[in-house]
Amino acid sequence: MRNFDYHRPADMSAAIDAARAEGAEILAGGTLMVDLMKIGVREPDALVDITGLADLEGHDIGMDRIRFGALARMADVADDQTLKTAAPVLTESLWKAASPQLRQAARLGGNILQQTRCPYFRDTAYSQCNKRAPGSGCAALDGGKTNLHAILGGSDDCVAMYPGDWAQALIAFDAEVHTQGPGGTRTISFADLHVMPGDTPQIETILEPGEIVKHITVPVIPALKASHYLKARDRESYAFASASAAVGLEMEGETVRDVRIGLGGVAAVPWRARQAEEHLKGKSLTEETARETGRIAFADASPLEGSEYKIKLGADVVAGALMTAHARSQGGE
Amino acid sequence: MAQTLNTAVSRTDAPRKVTGTATYAADVIPAGMLHGALATSSIAVGTLTGLDTSAAEAEPGVVAVYTHENLPDYKSVKGFYAGGPGSASFWPMEGTEIKYAGQPIAYVVAETAAAARRGAQLITADYDSRPADVHMDPADSFVIGATGDSKGMVATKGDVPKGLAEAAQTLDVEYTTPFQHHNPMEMFASTAEWRGDRLTVWMPSQSVRTLRLGIAKAFGLPETSVRVISPFVGGAFGSKAGITPYAMLTIAAAKAVGAPVRLIVTRPQMYTVATFRPESVQRFRLGADETGKLTAFEHIEIAQTSQFDVVTNPGTHITRAMYASPNIHTEQRVARSDTNTGGFMRAPNEMQTFFGLEQAMDELAHKLGIDPVEMRRVNDTDRHPVEDVPFSSRSLMECYDSVSDTFGWADRTAEVGSMTDGDWLVGYGCATATYPTNILASNARVRMRGTGHAYIELAAHDVGTGSYTIFAQIAAARLGLPVEACDVVMGHGDMPVAPLAGGSGTAASAGSAVHDACLRIGRLVAAEVSRQPEGPLAGVSADRITLEDGVLRGPDGHSQSLVEALASTATTEVEAVGEFRHPALTDKLIRATFSGGYGTAGPVTPECAMFAFGAEMAEVHINRWTHEIRVPRAHGAFAAGTILNRKTAHSQLMGGMVWGIGSALHEVTEVDKPRARYLNANIAEYLVPVNADIREIRVEMLEERDDYVNPLGVKGIGELGIVGTAAAIANAVHHATGRRLRHLPIRMSDLV
Repeated sequence: MRNFDYHRPADMSAAIDAARAEGAEILAGGTLMVDLMKIGVREPDALVDITGLADLEGHDIGMDRIRFGALARMADVADDQTLKTAAPVLTESLWKAASPQLRQAARLGGNILQQTRCPYFRDTAYSQCNKRAPGSGCAALDGGKTNLHAILGGSDDCVAMYPGDWAQALIAFDAEVHTQGPGGTRTISFADLHVMPGDTPQIETILEPGEIVKHITVPVIPALKASHYLKARDRESYAFASASAAVGLEMEGETVRDVRIGLGGVAAVPWRARQAEEHLKGKSLTEETARETGRIAFADASPLEGSEYKIKLGADVVAGALMTAHARSQGGE
Repeated sequence: MAQTLNTAVSRTDAPRKVTGTATYAADVIPAGMLHGALATSSIAVGTLTGLDTSAAEAEPGVVAVYTHENLPDYKSVKGFYAGGPGSASFWPMEGTEIKYAGQPIAYVVAETAAAARRGAQLITADYDSRPADVHMDPADSFVIGATGDSKGMVATKGDVPKGLAEAAQTLDVEYTTPFQHHNPMEMFASTAEWRGDRLTVWMPSQSVRTLRLGIAKAFGLPETSVRVISPFVGGAFGSKAGITPYAMLTIAAAKAVGAPVRLIVTRPQMYTVATFRPESVQRFRLGADETGKLTAFEHIEIAQTSQFDVVTNPGTHITRAMYASPNIHTEQRVARSDTNTGGFMRAPNEMQTFFGLEQAMDELAHKLGIDPVEMRRVNDTDRHPVEDVPFSSRSLMECYDSVSDTFGWADRTAEVGSMTDGDWLVGYGCATATYPTNILASNARVRMRGTGHAYIELAAHDVGTGSYTIFAQIAAARLGLPVEACDVVMGHGDMPVAPLAGGSGTAASAGSAVHDACLRIGRLVAAEVSRQPEGPLAGVSADRITLEDGVLRGPDGHSQSLVEALASTATTEVEAVGEFRHPALTDKLIRATFSGGYGTAGPVTPECAMFAFGAEMAEVHINRWTHEIRVPRAHGAFAAGTILNRKTAHSQLMGGMVWGIGSALHEVTEVDKPRARYLNANIAEYLVPVNADIREIRVEMLEERDDYVNPLGVKGIGELGIVGTAAAIANAVHHATGRRLRHLPIRMSDLV
């Protein structure tokens, strides 16, 4: 690991000042940043530890919106039983992520900014990685192994997959990210936070230097209550999704009034399957319509060598998640 | 005296381990110690044309950087498979040749571990790179024997084509198994301290003898000038057997820098600087009549090896011992690839070969419409099918009967896809497990005091298996002492020779040497007390006194406890070196073990075939939405002669089955083909089972007596548990889905 300066500012303005400096990075739980620094992928000049900013801690469940502080711990939110009842998709997607040790350390602000697990990004011995070294090429697309890469949203320059779980729930339920930076405060629609790789895969979000995530809000809508996060993975715990779906349903009698579908394990950025949502609205929810909806969610997918399975798997996972959400909308599990 | 063998005894070293007072190699900090770090090659094959170490040298805290140009010379030793003590025959940093990705190219010594690792990151290299292939080409394979011992690498009995022609059903299939890495929790570590011409090396080892001899040879030292210390090992599974380059480089760097140096290898580097489980292809051609009796049995194994060694883990030696057939042909082949040399990894090669064999038996049973357990029963045999000698003991069908009972095999409905549980498809599968009984020469020293204490000393190893405890139990049983009164000391190269901890040989062989030392103590004490003027055994001819469970017994019913007898002698202390030399051990084999090799007799001797057996059953659930594969139940019944400690043996067998679940569903070292590098060299992405993957594991240990293998009747259980698990799971997946998956691991991507 390269040596670095370490700052632990006591207030937000000092944090912004320190974080806007060239080569500075923000540190919260450190589960990703420290990991990437150890393996030489990130080499900041300075770390700005924001864990002293008490205003950014905790979460609360309001009538109209749920607020999550950027410093709330994954574990604390995942274990909140009130939230689990009110919005199961928001706790399940955290609970099924990482390991208990990581969930105790990791903070939500960092969680949504999680970087890819693409092995070519993480191993500096591979000289080609446009995300790590812009312009160097993409080893994955240059004959590499692509069975875990993005089949939605990838580009000719980068097919790295966004690995997180919680973000799928946030994008599906119109979350907003509230930040403060050198230019003041702003509110960003979660769907706008992440940037498609295109030909600049090194740019992952619209956040400016020194801009700090303060909190994340999710509007309370009926579909949150009958929601579910289904994660398919090769082992029962501590594994990234091969495919996942964050879904929610609002039924009006037998008819789907509102439906939300976020896709994980398959896309370059947190992904919302709007076409599939539109398809299901106004229909009844049966195994057949659920499976149709799943297929539509992947209609535009472009599989890479070895990742063809993700299309069928992803569709089945969407269908399975909708079936559970439907059962929840009927008062069952 | 409470029974101390074949009972459940808690580990004697457990308090030290859970309180952190057990000293592992990387816990030792010699005065003035510096830290090492490796820089490794990014390419797989080629020549190093330039190495820039200037940034590393300028890094604060870095003391020295060594490369092929300035590292002190040491004599290369041969790899294990060429009869030497090395993990491989090729030694990096001797020149500019690069033969595998992740090969060490520079060694940084610094004041802190962080500075050393940063220094290693700052080293840049230029290469003249050549094309490389991590995978073997099975079409380019050759029979083992061209360069080494060819004994039994090909075996033929009868006429396989004729047997296939006569069969009611035949099978011609190929199974593949991938690269796997051991991933012990304890990182590879090595600490070297020179004091003049005397050298001390702390490192976790499965064979301190091999290390000491090899290091002495490499550095031109008398063996007595080298101390190798390895009292505790935090998991090895085959990865800590030979001398590895990282150890040799650490010793050389410590010599050059003039201070003790410790290296802890990083997790990603652990994938390239030591051995691994080679990938393999298992080809089977089987034929059977309507009753399931085999008419032909052919197994050709092709295993991956490096460009500079021939890995010889003969798997077909074991498969051909399993089932009766009039026509048998087996071949042991290897094919080269651009990797470091592979080696043994828990149940070498039985995990791979039995994944093939036991699926093939299941496939044939399915074709014939025969219950898979019955398929094994009709082909069971009490004589080795090729060598035509009896088994020293073989309780295979007793194991099947036991496990069928606990598992509820009778509830299985034969039809594929016929069992479900809610959103889950359900399948039941079974498979045979076996492991050869290795017989190796061993010595052990036992010192006993009249106070009722014993000290057992031998250069054996507790690689987390429970050896400390079972040696104490053996001594306690023989000498009539409580287990706690028997102190066992191991893991030093200058102790009495014991074999490499591998191939499930330690309990059987080193344990028999402890047993023999205790009997010798009995004879020495008997001689003393028979000479005494008074006492229960005074005047009794010493050669008529026997030691039974800690009691000296004369021919006329007079007896005296060994402790009392010893206390009555002038010295009140006695010492003996025990030896285990099975009649099947030739001088050549004994010499091999005493010079750090693996001199095993068997599993087939002129009189007997020696194997432990087991039967495993697995229940598999496959989710109809996520296609996830889960194993809610795995049961195993095993017969391995005497079980010395029912608690540690249970843990061994259970651990093997857990690993088998991992082999079936999780483990694989992924490969980037064009650049010939590993892709998931970390334990986040190299999947092994987590707690949540392991539900019900049931282990039964059957009573079995074997008077041939060794005086304790022990056949060894360390490797046995894993052998049948992957095949049982694959067979259960077939039963649930009708999908026959002939590769490992079996993933949800195979089932969508």
